[in-house]
Amino acid sequence: MAQLSTASAGTAVRLPGLPAGIPAHVRSHASGGRDLWSAPLPAAPSDATAEAWRCLGEVLDPEIPISLVELGLIYGLEVEDGVARVRVTFTATACPCMEFIREDIRDRLEREPWIRAVEIEEVWDPPWTNARITPAGREKLRALGVGVAR
Amino acid sequence: MSGELLNDPAALDAGARDALERFILSLADGKRLLGIRYSDWLLGAPSIEAGIAASSMCQDEWGHARLLYAMLKDFGRDPVAVEHDRPAEAYANPCVLDRPAEDWAELVSFMVLVDGALSTVLEGFAAGRWELATSRVPKMLAEEAFHRDLGTAWYARLAGGSAEAQERLRTSTERMLPRLLAWLDPDDEDAHVLAGAGLAAEGARNRERFAEAVGPSLALLEIDVATVEPDRADWDATRRRGPGRPDDDAVERARGDRNRALFVE
Repeated sequence: MAQLSTASAGTAVRLPGLPAGIPAHVRSHASGGRDLWSAPLPAAPSDATAEAWRCLGEVLDPEIPISLVELGLIYGLEVEDGVARVRVTFTATACPCMEFIREDIRDRLEREPWIRAVEIEEVWDPPWTNARITPAGREKLRALGVGVAR
Repeated sequence: MSGELLNDPAALDAGARDALERFILSLADGKRLLGIRYSDWLLGAPSIEAGIAASSMCQDEWGHARLLYAMLKDFGRDPVAVEHDRPAEAYANPCVLDRPAEDWAELVSFMVLVDGALSTVLEGFAAGRWELATSRVPKMLAEEAFHRDLGTAWYARLAGGSAEAQERLRTSTERMLPRLLAWLDPDDEDAHVLAGAGLAAEGARNRERFAEAVGPSLALLEIDVATVEPDRADWDATRRRGPGRPDDDAVERARGDRNRALFVE
């Protein structure tokens, strides 16, 4: 883990300046952080698109412990007549986690009873760079001792 | 290049449509074979770091190939069949990739010259009227910037190294350069049709841009790319490449022959 180092006796110690304990979103070993996903809403919200964004905000990237939204991979999302249309990009053209990410997006949104279908479009324009990581995502990474160059 | 963006092959006349399909396949096969050549050096490179870089580059090349093969769907081609069911004789990669790099110096020449030529042609494709290219290729080129940096640095290192290093680099450079110039500027009907339709850059323009990109590296060996003539002997316009075919081992790996029983889609 980025925030821990191992003492010579094998005891984990906390690096100075970093928060105590490992955040839940880092401890999750379930695909997309699904063990941390909130319960579905029983009825359709007044703003389905905004609620769908909140749902995707719970889906963790498979390799970087922040959400797909914080990582800047979601280029568009709208919900219309129960159909969620997601425009997603990837950090690299050969990202080995593409299928995991698609599955996690679909599974999270389909948990909601007011979403009856999920359509995912893969997009590459504009190309993703780490400049697309949100301030909240940068702060989480910083707390883990990971710096992101601008 | 300018003009309205196009996304439907039916909007093109038959000549331009077929030429564009062959062009995309040529780029995809070039990426696929270059990835295989990089993969040969994941272990056995001059340093662990160089091997890791080769690993990253082969992953990128296959990612680019995946996106390019997928573009062929619009032409009625099944990308799965294109990737997994073609004989070696159908591959459309630049002929300099038909066999593995003999040594690290040749792989460095692949980085600078072959990867450079592919990027040059892709830049022209991205600046043209094919909409999928305008949206997908910039990401590829962004990833290629790292390949260029690594290749340029290694080229300079070898060019300033021992006499043997310089000789090996010169041999591989001089061997592949004439064929690559022909690949950049085939001067065949397809090339003229594509340039005329605003779908790809003119061959002469490709050569100019390529010379600008790799000229400083080659100058370290006192090679002037402007004085090298393209070798178009036995040019195969159908496959947009020089004569020959890739070696059986590379094609078996490209097709995933050993994994065929496990293949799922």
